[in-house]
Amino acid sequence: MNEPILEVENLTVQFKAKTKMFRSTGDREKWKRVLNAISFSLRQGETFGIVGETGSGKTTLARTLVGIYKPKDCKVTLYGKRVDFRKKEGILLLRKTIGIVFQDPVGSLNPRVTVYDIISEGIPVWEKLKEEQKAEKVREAARLVDLPESKLESYPTELSGGEKQRVSLARTIIGGKKILVLDEPTSSLDVSIQAQILNLLIRLKKELSISYIFITHDLNVIKYMCDRVAVLYYGQILEQGNTEEIFEHPRHPYSSDLVAANISFSSTTKFSEVQESGEPTKEGCVYKNSCSKRFASCDNEPPVIDYGKGTVKCWLYSNMRDDRGNKMER
Amino acid sequence: MIDSIQRRDKLSPNLLEVSNLSVNFETIDRTVEVLKDVSVTVGKEEVVGVVGESGSGKSTLAQVIVGVLDIPPARIMGGRILLEGKEILPHPENKVNFRGKGINMIFQEPLTSLNPVYSVHDQMEEAVNIGHPKLEKKEKEAIIRKSLAEVMIRDVEGVLNVYPHQLSGGMRQRVSIAMVLVQKPNLLILDEPTTGLDLIVQRKIISLIMNLKKEVLSSILLITHDLAVAANMCDRIYVMYAGRVVESGKMRDVLHDPKHPYTTMLKNSEPEGYANGAPLKVSSGAPPDLRHLPPGCAFNPRCPMAMDICRSKVPELKKLADNREVACWLYE
Repeated sequence: MNEPILEVENLTVQFKAKTKMFRSTGDREKWKRVLNAISFSLRQGETFGIVGETGSGKTTLARTLVGIYKPKDCKVTLYGKRVDFRKKEGILLLRKTIGIVFQDPVGSLNPRVTVYDIISEGIPVWEKLKEEQKAEKVREAARLVDLPESKLESYPTELSGGEKQRVSLARTIIGGKKILVLDEPTSSLDVSIQAQILNLLIRLKKELSISYIFITHDLNVIKYMCDRVAVLYYGQILEQGNTEEIFEHPRHPYSSDLVAANISFSSTTKFSEVQESGEPTKEGCVYKNSCSKRFASCDNEPPVIDYGKGTVKCWLYSNMRDDRGNKMER
Repeated sequence: MIDSIQRRDKLSPNLLEVSNLSVNFETIDRTVEVLKDVSVTVGKEEVVGVVGESGSGKSTLAQVIVGVLDIPPARIMGGRILLEGKEILPHPENKVNFRGKGINMIFQEPLTSLNPVYSVHDQMEEAVNIGHPKLEKKEKEAIIRKSLAEVMIRDVEGVLNVYPHQLSGGMRQRVSIAMVLVQKPNLLILDEPTTGLDLIVQRKIISLIMNLKKEVLSSILLITHDLAVAANMCDRIYVMYAGRVVESGKMRDVLHDPKHPYTTMLKNSEPEGYANGAPLKVSSGAPPDLRHLPPGCAFNPRCPMAMDICRSKVPELKKLADNREVACWLYE
């Protein structure tokens, strides 16, 4: 497959737990580590899915990738160039190439300006376009996202949820971004509208040859949209690899719990006894308190094991052989 | 006519019978028809789903049934609701007498349905006082603990002393289920019970409800937008669009062979399997604005099979084989 265009290595993001109140709710540390040594890469024309539950750090990851949060430690390479998060140039490079669509279309669109103004805001300032050229570009972007031209003069409150998300998309693609970070782009939408937006995303990817980092909690959407997927839990990637591989043969116990819990309308669910799940933990494997396959090694940090079609961070596979009988190595 | 209805009431095996219910929302400058001629029945020990997108009127339907709808601005234009053969619409003076043991409801967002200034124990106690007013305090305490254990809360004593905001989303929803359980309602209405919950938690809550249904609960009316959840829980289903029931029938029949084009579209909208770049089969357009409904069938602007008659006349619900009903001119 193609060369990776974005490579993220050891991305760690932590927030300062400033007030006493915040600290008293959890552990009494001064820093809360939200993302812990995340590594993944995105290839040209690929849709890379990131799936995780509440508090897994999905949104923090999205925001870090567009330079809203500064990571503590990382090595991010974008089209072969190293991104320095401490320098203005680094952040600029990120924002020139990576665009973001937020989950909440109401909160991310300014209610006081028209749709035209919102979309034209996405045109980079250095292009120094004349008004007519700008108008032409905005109309072109609106056409690409199937937004009727009559809506350009409306205000965000006059739009439906699907139209708002189209405006967010138009604002992002108008700047010629090559990578889009989609943070739960369809979670607040009705199913029929969600289907339209997913279709739009599939079409845009082909027409503009862009790549997506698709963040969602909905496994059916991930399965449908993504080429590769990473499973995020409590700030760590527990497993990543080919989507079909992960859905058909989940290796990490957490991935298999997730896949087993997923219901689609063609599945016939057996309602088993409910197991109580434990809290994520800091020592050793993060999932050990909820894991059904826990054993002694789990108290130590698990190794990341490459099984060819992906990687899994679990002690279960440290000395095992893969399906083809090859020895798996660290 | 009235005689025949009353005779049917006596024979009816249905726990809940909503017939021809119409509700309007009235404001100073306009009237919006939120429910039009809606008939829904829930049999004993049956799980019935009401599925629809936003604006379909599914939550209003639930609110009318439990009697928590604000009147005004809402106004009930007609129809009857029978619970075990007894009329509960208009709601009698002492409204609450059918709530609790008769009908109980679990809301979508447990943080807003639980009281933030009372501890879990105090709220549970209130529920027990309604469900079992004559018991001794000791017995009541035992019931509280038993029902919390029934919803798989391990640390019962710990949960009892905290306030709702200290619990996670799944735990809150379990507490609200426990509160309902102590009253052992004949009909439980679930309004989007798992929306906004994580996948594993959602699965647990659904399993919990279905397991408890066997032992404690009688019937369930599930209001949801999620076809997948409905498909896995319900025996029968009603599909609503713009305030009307457009299709109903056994869950399996409706899912495998949807009759109404809207149901087909809903089914096609669900991403299923690996696409590898293939688009979903879905028509354009959005759920209608109830203030400006198109003439004729409300679905006609989005319908791939719309005919001339669809744009002028509203189709009536028509009975088909296997106890199915569909409101579509294709089947006239």
